Amino acid sequence: MVKKIFSAIIAVFISAQCLCLFACGKTKTKYSEYSFDFFDTVTTVTGYAENKEEFEKVSELVLGELGEYHRLFDIYKRYDGMENLCTINELVGGAHRTVKADARIIDMLIYAKEMYEKTGGKVNVAMGSVLSIWHDYRSEGMNNPWEAELPPMDKLEKAAEHTDISALVIDKENGTVTITDPEVRLDVGAIAKGYAVEMVAQELEKQGISGYVLNVGGNVRTIGAKADGEPWTVGVENPQDDESVPYIAYLKLAGQSLVTSGSYQRYYIVDGKRYHHIIDPETLMPSEGFVSVSVLCKSSAMGDALSTALFCMDFESGFALIESIDEAEAMWVMPDGSIKRTEGFPG
Amino acid sequence: MGDEKKSKSKIKNDIIFIAALLAAVCLIGIIYIATRAPGDTVIVKVDGKIFGEYPLDTDRTVEIRNGDRVNLLIIEGGEAYMAEASCPDGICVAHRPISRDGESIACKPNTVVVIVRATGEDSPDIIA
Repeated sequence: MVKKIFSAIIAVFISAQCLCLFACGKTKTKYSEYSFDFFDTVTTVTGYAENKEEFEKVSELVLGELGEYHRLFDIYKRYDGMENLCTINELVGGAHRTVKADARIIDMLIYAKEMYEKTGGKVNVAMGSVLSIWHDYRSEGMNNPWEAELPPMDKLEKAAEHTDISALVIDKENGTVTITDPEVRLDVGAIAKGYAVEMVAQELEKQGISGYVLNVGGNVRTIGAKADGEPWTVGVENPQDDESVPYIAYLKLAGQSLVTSGSYQRYYIVDGKRYHHIIDPETLMPSEGFVSVSVLCKSSAMGDALSTALFCMDFESGFALIESIDEAEAMWVMPDGSIKRTEGFPG
Repeated sequence: MGDEKKSKSKIKNDIIFIAALLAAVCLIGIIYIATRAPGDTVIVKVDGKIFGEYPLDTDRTVEIRNGDRVNLLIIEGGEAYMAEASCPDGICVAHRPISRDGESIACKPNTVVVIVRATGEDSPDIIA
């Protein structure tokens, strides 16, 4: 009798243990943290953790690192005791200084030059003089919508004479950057965000952290799979306002990145027409070929650069570019709402 | 006598098993309640800090006040949208209503961000 009671208690105890094991394995809780402080956009950190403290440790690391990259790559603002892209862009006595820069700046600029070659000049970080004109007119137009104007073409063309990337001289050994043409300015908007996200994601991977996703304004980078081992489901939002089709693609990602560049993300309106922020280096005007372009690949740095480049290329050239790169896939949303994709891009 | 003893202990065993069963059911119930997904939530942040969290399925108007900067957020019929804003560009007011997990409306001049958080089965984990 005692034996039976004992075995019954043991049975209950074991089944409770099993249940807990089963439940605990499945119920690592999902947490999210948001920030609006970096790269002029919304940052979301999502991840699975045993408890809030564990999640906060990771999210603080992510936001801290992103903040560092944000300050280093900021072209508009200088920070005390730090050389950043703003100070590299500055003229002292009519010329740029040779600046001893943080290794993270040096590495990013080297990568930017690689991407210039890879995209046939469609990603050009030396285009700052042109982009700053657009930036000023856009800011002015957003602050005074009734007086919004387009930049005059002669002004843009004059600035475009000083966008030669060879004026950006990087000395990796000595860790210095020099811009040899005083009229040339750096603008890393097409690449910095994705590059920073990639570096932070790699840092998490190095620390053995898994089950997280970073999303910085459309630059999505997954770090491992979800807590239950399933890949993350990433929905690409339908740029057309159609409630019946909220997503135009569902992707299963574990360790890869998806970057979307869209004409609907940042824009201003002149005479009823939208002018977005992705400027074609050839026409010096916002590119009008697509509503959005998404790139699926391992590195968010490459995804960011490629999505910008594809946005400024015709579909055929862009398709050929993606086909020439291993493990990169792309999806284009055409102005009429139709969708084109490379073979490996899930529908 | 012996039979009576046996049947008594049988009843006792039955009681123990029923108790065990009840305990297991309770345990499952507790785990279910503890891990149940909460409903869709609208999170409002001002200057990077949480201003408020509101269920998406309850209609309400939220006045987001930060000094003399004001945004009027309306939650209505399972959607949230910015009805008014003191900002000069009005981009947040022009933004379409949001209702899906991860969708956001940002009012940059007023440093206001509105984000929808959901945990529905068929909603994606991340929106790009």
